[in-house]
Amino acid sequence: MKNFLYLVCLGFLIVVTASLTAMETKVSMTLWNRYTADLTGGELNESVFGLERGYFRVEPTFNDKIKGRFNIDLFSDDDALDGAGLKLKYAYLDFSEVLPIPESKISAGLIKHYFGTIYDWEYISIQKALEDKEGVASSTDYGLALYGYLPGGYGEYAVSVLNGEGYKKTGGDLDKEPEIAANLRVIPIPGFTLGGSVLYENDESERLAYAGVAHFSKGPFELWGEYLVSNMNEITGSGFMFMPIIKLKGKTGIDVDLLGRFDMWDGNTDVDDDGHMNITAGLNWNLVRDEKGAPMVFLQLQGERTMFEDDAIEDIDKLMAQLQWTFSNVF
Amino acid sequence: MKKFKIFSVFCVFMLVMFTGGNSLYAASNSITITGSTTVLPIAQRAAEAFMDINEEISVSVRGGGSGVGIAALIDGRADIADASRPIKTKEIKLAREKGIDPYANVVARDGIAVVVHPDNPVDSIGIEDLKKIYTGEIENWKDLGGPNKAIVVISRDYSSGTFEVFKELVLEGAKVIDGALMLASNKAVSTTISITPNSIGYIGLGYLSKEVKALKVDGVEATEETVKEGKYKLARPLFMYTNGEPTGIIKTFIDFVFSPQGQLIAREVGYVPVK
Repeated sequence: MKNFLYLVCLGFLIVVTASLTAMETKVSMTLWNRYTADLTGGELNESVFGLERGYFRVEPTFNDKIKGRFNIDLFSDDDALDGAGLKLKYAYLDFSEVLPIPESKISAGLIKHYFGTIYDWEYISIQKALEDKEGVASSTDYGLALYGYLPGGYGEYAVSVLNGEGYKKTGGDLDKEPEIAANLRVIPIPGFTLGGSVLYENDESERLAYAGVAHFSKGPFELWGEYLVSNMNEITGSGFMFMPIIKLKGKTGIDVDLLGRFDMWDGNTDVDDDGHMNITAGLNWNLVRDEKGAPMVFLQLQGERTMFEDDAIEDIDKLMAQLQWTFSNVF
Repeated sequence: MKKFKIFSVFCVFMLVMFTGGNSLYAASNSITITGSTTVLPIAQRAAEAFMDINEEISVSVRGGGSGVGIAALIDGRADIADASRPIKTKEIKLAREKGIDPYANVVARDGIAVVVHPDNPVDSIGIEDLKKIYTGEIENWKDLGGPNKAIVVISRDYSSGTFEVFKELVLEGAKVIDGALMLASNKAVSTTISITPNSIGYIGLGYLSKEVKALKVDGVEATEETVKEGKYKLARPLFMYTNGEPTGIIKTFIDFVFSPQGQLIAREVGYVPVK
């Protein structure tokens, strides 16, 4: 019943935005079909095909200064009716240059969480951004954000006021105090980006997290790095992530990227043997791009090993293949 | 110890990737140009003339629109992005993140000519009235001293640089009327106007022909002289964006576009030379 209501609302929104009000309405969908094989201990323990997620987006442009984004996420879920779940991922309006600040906008609704790498994470590796994976920050949340570009394209900034509980919690699940978050990325020289984020919430317990981000890009090489610290209920966790990428198209003509990723996370720095590491290696093959170069059909093959600080816990090995495909009425 | 070993292996892997792959982008003798359909005639003619005197260098040119060209420069799929609008701050930020430093080479200037069917008796229009037509406030030619006929509004599509400039100079951010016909190229606009008696549209100066009639805008004709002198208000620079100041064969090509021969090409295809 809930799914049916979602679809009715979505259909209504598409018809209204496309036919009546919007200057232009982009309707698009991206699906992530994934195969996962759990090879822990050298044996095939799990072999699963599923729809990891499917974003259905409606992005109306009402005029030069007001744009919207509505995004439903469909996914395979054993607990949901008929094996598929549905959740609201984005629902916001962007109001450009409301404040007398050039190149700025205010986002209102279920918005991006401008923290660390989570808000522009493009799933180059199949795994989520570090802060999302370790439960430090949710990718979207309800609230308001002021976002803008630094003059001359030297970077970007964002200041947000959010519920602080992420997109999954609403109403009675929320605490009283809002989360305040700030993010700054600076590009001092082309190809080198440095960034920092902080979030703070103080209700019955204090919650503080901060992240440092570095990104390097030159020719076919790219490297992401992130350092993350979280302090929640007086428990401090910390970790980092490195992700190098090399694009082979320039040499081979085949649109393939090789990538590696290394994550380390210690959930409580005062306790031994509770940390884990994750190492990933694989390739991304862009089969079709749109005329602006964005991937439309994209195959990812990646293997990952998760290792635990506690020697008693066995390493987990997984092999994943993911087909990501996008279609849209506007490019 | 286990942590240290794994991290060491990862660091070695990264080192191999970064050093071993260094030969991936070898210099080539080809130049790829992508972007604005307005700048396309200059780029095409210049490329042909350039290859006649530089046989060892291959230049490939395609259109797609200013946004497509700039995206290609940012992604490393083009050496030169043709654009009929200045690059946006958002695009500069994206480019800088990817190690690209967009550098503007203004290769010519262009007037956006407002065109109607040759049989239309109206000769001149004000920018205010033009805005009213495109936002639906004026719907009939009789309000402009013409026949009692509904105006057929023709525009470039949203991805075009010509539209971006028209939006900025005429519409001032207002929305184009829903019933407007949105076309993908200057040529398509020109052809449609020529066969649609009560239509109005806008095209780059280089696409003017006897098939359409250009209106004076605020009493000024769209000509090379009025654009150069700054009298014609619907005028804009035309860009070839490169990654930093051009070097190597890209500099050789850009220098050719700025040479007397290159600037003559710009004039021959209907634009205003800058040198």
